[in-house]
Amino acid sequence: MTNITIVWLALPFFIGFVIYLLPKLARWLALGIALVSAAYAVQLFLDSSPLNIQLLDNFGVTLIADRLSGYFILTNAVVTSAVVFYCWDSGKTAFFYMQIILLHGSVNSAFVCADFITLYVALEVISIAAFLLIAYPRTNRSIWVGLRYLFVSNTAMLFYLMGALLVYQAHHSFHYEGLRGSPPEAVALIFLGLLAKGGIFVSGFWLPLTHSESQSPVSAMLSGVVVKAGVFPLVRCALMLEEIDPIVRFFGVSTALLGVCYAVFEKDTKRMLAFHTISQLGFVLAAPAVGGFYALTHGLVKSALFLTAGILPSRNFKELQHQPLDGQIWLALAIASFSISGFPLLSGFGAKILTSKNLLPWHVISMNIAAVGTGVSFAKFIFLPHDKLSWNRDRVANADGETREQEDGRKKLQPGFWWAIFTLLGGLVVANIFYYEAYTLTNIIKPLVTIAVGWLSYLVIFKKAVLKLPNQTEKFDHLIGVMSLMLILLFWTIWTRTQGYALA
Amino acid sequence: MLLEAFVVGTILCGFLGIIFKKNLVMKIISMDIMSTGVIAYYVLIASRDGLYTPIIDRTKDVNYADPVPQAVILTAIVIGFSIQALMLVGVMKLSKDNPTLETSAIEENNTP
Repeated sequence: MTNITIVWLALPFFIGFVIYLLPKLARWLALGIALVSAAYAVQLFLDSSPLNIQLLDNFGVTLIADRLSGYFILTNAVVTSAVVFYCWDSGKTAFFYMQIILLHGSVNSAFVCADFITLYVALEVISIAAFLLIAYPRTNRSIWVGLRYLFVSNTAMLFYLMGALLVYQAHHSFHYEGLRGSPPEAVALIFLGLLAKGGIFVSGFWLPLTHSESQSPVSAMLSGVVVKAGVFPLVRCALMLEEIDPIVRFFGVSTALLGVCYAVFEKDTKRMLAFHTISQLGFVLAAPAVGGFYALTHGLVKSALFLTAGILPSRNFKELQHQPLDGQIWLALAIASFSISGFPLLSGFGAKILTSKNLLPWHVISMNIAAVGTGVSFAKFIFLPHDKLSWNRDRVANADGETREQEDGRKKLQPGFWWAIFTLLGGLVVANIFYYEAYTLTNIIKPLVTIAVGWLSYLVIFKKAVLKLPNQTEKFDHLIGVMSLMLILLFWTIWTRTQGYALA
Repeated sequence: MLLEAFVVGTILCGFLGIIFKKNLVMKIISMDIMSTGVIAYYVLIASRDGLYTPIIDRTKDVNYADPVPQAVILTAIVIGFSIQALMLVGVMKLSKDNPTLETSAIEENNTP
């Protein structure tokens, strides 16, 4: 198993460069890598004992592969394959697929590593690959958005490196467990890096612009898996060290509320999805023990929504309300929205139930508010006007050719899009098997009430609301400046906690 | 202790430079200064127990520097250097339409 893990980790990087040599095979190779990862994740689920690997010597690379990593790796595999399907006929160059695969590989290594330096390398490779993907269209805007992303993440990672060094100084090891007994400033610096990278709480304000201005497949990758590379180590640390756990949960709850506050007032589809990603990462962190399953469902839904939002005729909700959507596209949107709001039959339901069972008592109210907010945000999609569903309309459209579609002014949909959506939404239904115990009467009633309250408040209040929250906080200088504030906040939280532990 | 203060001072200078410098290239240079500070910090911690290059020599009985932080920071230097190269290429592209490279102007032009 050790050898398999190493081969599996190295394969994407090897194939990534092979893609560049064999551009004709690019799509097939990319898809193959995603399937290999999926197979590896399944293998992790079948294996009950976690796999601990210590490479080289005492100071070498440490890896931990268990079910938690399995969930994240599976998310990565499914999202990557959906993105490859989506781009199948879009004429993307081999360079694009190469970056997708390098990104896939580095995210995978972030999901199995267990020491701070391996994680650092993985996160930096992620930044570079993500930058190249964001800047793929080569327009000024895309380059600026990419540069901004690279700047924020690199500055955060410099703080992180300092923290890693302080951990090493205390324990002569870079292992995650070294966080226990390290000075508070070490924990604060490492957390600053990870929070900024994962888009959590106020250090996550770089995320909306980056995710909304990228091309849809790239947004899907970024929102679906890449931010989770920053969140996963936090979850892992929270599970390993019980004194870290309350801090992680605290940031989880605050980011869930913050993200959803912005999401309900947002008028732009992709920005709304991006803000909602921030809030959902909070759900993952609020219950670290079951975060894996939540991350899986969220990754699938969010990439499906980003891919679908990319083909809508407009990005503005106001305009969309006057333009009936194609029935099938609406159906895809609605299924994804239902899942993320926690509607039974889709695995978002199981994930929500599981998370709410693992919350701390005083977090429950805030998380319920966040769940209602989710209902409100996605009511925007569900209540969009749309054509009637009729399954043979497709044939009619094909029969009289493209003239009809030009009349409609709609983009021609590639079959790849439907492949991608089927993969993601199918994954959502299948993922129910991970937690089928959720289906009891009381469990079913609660999310239905939450959704009903959300929809009602959407129709009554938020549909007409014109409040626009200022986006001053997303200015570049503020993004960097906020890091210093976060550092003080983190230091203060951790310091008071460790004092409490020392006294107890 | 004094050296540590200098190192932290360098990191802080770099960080403040990223915030307060207006020009994009200056921001990148500030980031370089910050990463220089971090690298120096690693080297400093590595030399806590000894200053000699960690190559074992049986004839001498000296205190060696800790090789682990040095090895680690070597990786970080390479990564930092490649990121900087990438950023400068991006800035070159941007400079065609924004010759002054004022961050606020670029931001205004490129935010929806």
